[in-house]
Amino acid sequence: MKKILALILALVMVFALAACGDTPAETPAEEPTTEDETPASEPAEEGGELLIGCLQDITGATSSLGMSVEAGARAAVEEINANGGINGMTVVMKTYDTKGDVTEAVNAYITAVTVDKVALIIGPPVANIANAIKETSEGYDVPILGFALDPQCQMREDGTTYKNMFCLQPSATTQGEIMASFALKNGLETFGILYNQGNSYSLSLLDPFIDRLAEDGVTVDESLIIPYSASDTDYKTLLQPIVSANVDAIYCPNYTQELVAIVTAANELGYEGKVINGLDAAPSFNTIYGGDCSNIYYINNINTDDPVTAEMAAAVEDSVSAVNKYFLGYDAVMIAKMCVEQAGLDDPAALISAIENVTDFEGLTGTLTIDPETHMPDGMGMFMYTYDNQTPVMLEEFAG
Amino acid sequence: MFLGEATKQMSLQIVINGLATGSVYALIATGFALIFNILKFSNFSHGATMTAAAFTAYFLVAAKGGGLAATLLAAALAGALIALFGEFFGFRRITLKHSSPTYFFVSSITLGTLYEGLVTIRVGSNFYNFPSFFKNPTIRISGLVISTGDAMMCIISLVALILLAYVIQKTRLGRALRAVSFDRDTAQLMGINSTRIIQLTFVISGLLAGAAGTFLGIKYTLYPTLGSLVVKGFIASVIGGLGSLVGAVIGAVLLGLIETLLLSLLGSGYSTIATFGIMLVFLLVRPQGIAGSNIQEKA
Amino acid sequence: MALVSNILTQVFITLISVVGVYVLTGLTGMFSLGQAAFMAIGSYASGLLVVKGGMALAPAIVLAVLMTTLVGYLVGYPVVRLRRDYISLVTLGFGEAIAALLNRMTSLTGGASGFTGIPRRTTLLLAAVSAVAAIILVAFFKTSKYGRQCIALRGDELAAKAMGINVTRVKMTAFLLSVALTAYSGCLYAFYMSYVDPSGFGWKKSADWVIMVFFGGVNSLTGSTLGAFILSALPQVLRGLQNYRYVIYAVLVLLIINFKPSGLLGEWELTPRNLARTARSLGRKFGTRKETH
Repeated sequence: MKKILALILALVMVFALAACGDTPAETPAEEPTTEDETPASEPAEEGGELLIGCLQDITGATSSLGMSVEAGARAAVEEINANGGINGMTVVMKTYDTKGDVTEAVNAYITAVTVDKVALIIGPPVANIANAIKETSEGYDVPILGFALDPQCQMREDGTTYKNMFCLQPSATTQGEIMASFALKNGLETFGILYNQGNSYSLSLLDPFIDRLAEDGVTVDESLIIPYSASDTDYKTLLQPIVSANVDAIYCPNYTQELVAIVTAANELGYEGKVINGLDAAPSFNTIYGGDCSNIYYINNINTDDPVTAEMAAAVEDSVSAVNKYFLGYDAVMIAKMCVEQAGLDDPAALISAIENVTDFEGLTGTLTIDPETHMPDGMGMFMYTYDNQTPVMLEEFAG
Repeated sequence: MFLGEATKQMSLQIVINGLATGSVYALIATGFALIFNILKFSNFSHGATMTAAAFTAYFLVAAKGGGLAATLLAAALAGALIALFGEFFGFRRITLKHSSPTYFFVSSITLGTLYEGLVTIRVGSNFYNFPSFFKNPTIRISGLVISTGDAMMCIISLVALILLAYVIQKTRLGRALRAVSFDRDTAQLMGINSTRIIQLTFVISGLLAGAAGTFLGIKYTLYPTLGSLVVKGFIASVIGGLGSLVGAVIGAVLLGLIETLLLSLLGSGYSTIATFGIMLVFLLVRPQGIAGSNIQEKA
Repeated sequence: MALVSNILTQVFITLISVVGVYVLTGLTGMFSLGQAAFMAIGSYASGLLVVKGGMALAPAIVLAVLMTTLVGYLVGYPVVRLRRDYISLVTLGFGEAIAALLNRMTSLTGGASGFTGIPRRTTLLLAAVSAVAAIILVAFFKTSKYGRQCIALRGDELAAKAMGINVTRVKMTAFLLSVALTAYSGCLYAFYMSYVDPSGFGWKKSADWVIMVFFGGVNSLTGSTLGAFILSALPQVLRGLQNYRYVIYAVLVLLIINFKPSGLLGEWELTPRNLARTARSLGRKFGTRKETH
């Protein structure tokens, strides 16, 4: 008897929760970014709605990246709607949380394309998530404008592309090469490398950097290329040989939080050389680290010397943790707008072909041309930065 | 010989790094061992308690300009409160009912999920860094580098552990605690309020968790899953002997040293695997751990 | 429809692991926090055999399950000889070591970038049939001689030993059965997702499975199955609640542990006889209730 009651109770509970789950609007709205739908700021005249999906890590380890992309995309959607929408349609963006988990990402993706039937998706900046959905995405005709800089997220081993998968920022190869070119140009000759072998971003930036150095005859001593994993707690011991070797620079393409601990440890060991980092040493690294960041060098998608960019960046600085991801999200929506205006929505193949043929799109993250062979940008440049104590300083632009 | 001197210097530095790591592990492992000692289960919520306490101290004290002492105090108090909460909602009923240890296990994991979930709601996946508490981040002695934070941590851990040892060995309270740990029912019959003693143990464990959390935060920045480092505390207490406090400290320092050594010899990745191997060997060769313990297999 | 079929497939795959955990934890009283690592070995091994070894699906799965079981034997050898408290810790360390190894062997496993290009072969039907088969297998195991011995030694190991039960052997059998089931679920997972990365197989996942078993009823296979069903579907229905879902999940489990420690179903199993008996007592209850009112 009690068992049956318990069983019924459990079922009722599940259904009750299912009912709650269907009304995402009930999500407490402390953070504007977690709201699920953006209402049009000004209703467009005619033409109904255009639903786009934003598939991001809203919770989980990389959520600060996902939420930044989402905020940028949302800003673009609001701007588009204020200016009359796309082809007269009001754009509605719905956010799907991947929870930073590959299985959840597939669920979220399928919800977006089959239940809500979104026209296109703004994808995640995390390679593992893109890898997880690429196979599933083949079964549908919904392009994914993402930022996974690992080429295998867009391409199979045989060189064919996944038709829906696009990456709208320079590939890991380009980014690694730019950082290496920068180092060579500044006369740095000896390097130590500390990378997180459990992080695909860190891993993907390793070889391009080393290979580019090798082109100029600079080799990195094998014993100074040091991997670490999330369970390592002692950065000092890992850094010891690099610091003892008195290198010109440490190449350290890791996530911000580890970076803070690594830079702290390096300083404590008395390291006085430079530290070259990936995208994650961009602000808010400086405020979290809190100390003098003058020996930190990093790569970035945006040019804050450009007044428009600088103004937008200043406006969102306090609410967005990864400003460059904000601009990527913004540009992705703008590219989507351009392609939908060109190709319409009736023929998915036409839309995909429009994305494949994006040429010289002038975005805030640079000039973008998609290579139809790779579904990644062709020759898109990036910017190298450093800090003057705590203030970011743009040094120079590097072509891809 | 220059090279020999340099190598010696380097290995000395590694020992120092190892001791620093070991002393955090020791704080974690003792908090964990205390609970194991009295209720005979592995408290998997200990890690999340550390994180939650450290974050509380960060927001209430450190972010408002409080110094290290104030932050540590706040974290320790927060840890104690959280542990009390856990004892009441997670373990009280199971303890009174003499349920099987498996329930403690599930309950502690669930509590850990709960704390971590609550921290995530508050901070998202953002992470925070304690303001630098020290004017000089490092102390240099003849070429050796010791971080001030690590040195403080060693000293404070040592003081805390000596205090704890004194309480347990020399006071009435400590005797009661040992009696409850040895046999709860008999202790109860002898007039000891075992529920009160268990609460007290949780408070002490929480205090240690708060301190450990703060030090971890200083060393590795604050993030919601910081508590997963508790695994090291578990391994340390296995090496030392589950439930033995002295063993936990020895095991922790030893683990810190071994890890650092392996890290510099084998590099990352393989050192994790080697640590696991060492734990296995210890369990097979000397399952009672280094210190041995007074826990008998309950029939 | 695609969504429902997708979620069901995932739930069925999880179900196979959870009945494995039921054998280990429910029947034998051992806790493994490295169970998900066996799932990882199963999925990587089967994926590698097919993609790099060019094997057909079925033999690859069989071989992967066998290989994982062999690893299980090596880990199980010390595990079943240890005090129960240590088992969770040893398996935990094992899980960490496997994750580190998968990250380290970049050339074979793709490291942190994950292992891609596994053909998608698992269908809803295959997952459902496998899950049902796994449940039936475990149901038979529970009522077999081994199963009864497991229950006996869970209650009192010394007494079981005194009764002439070969405790080490019975524990090992249960451990290997659960490893094999988990490995199989890993194979299905790999061929469903077509992509695996090392991050998803930590001790948290193993702990989730244990919680599912407890949620439904640690002594009841029906309960464990139900628990797995509810708790693995729950995050999907709670999708809109984002960060709050883990808190809700934890509070639910704490309530169960405090107020109904034997889980939702307690000892109750879904058998024809029990069903009839419950129906009868239900009728009687309603009958008496009417009288008292």
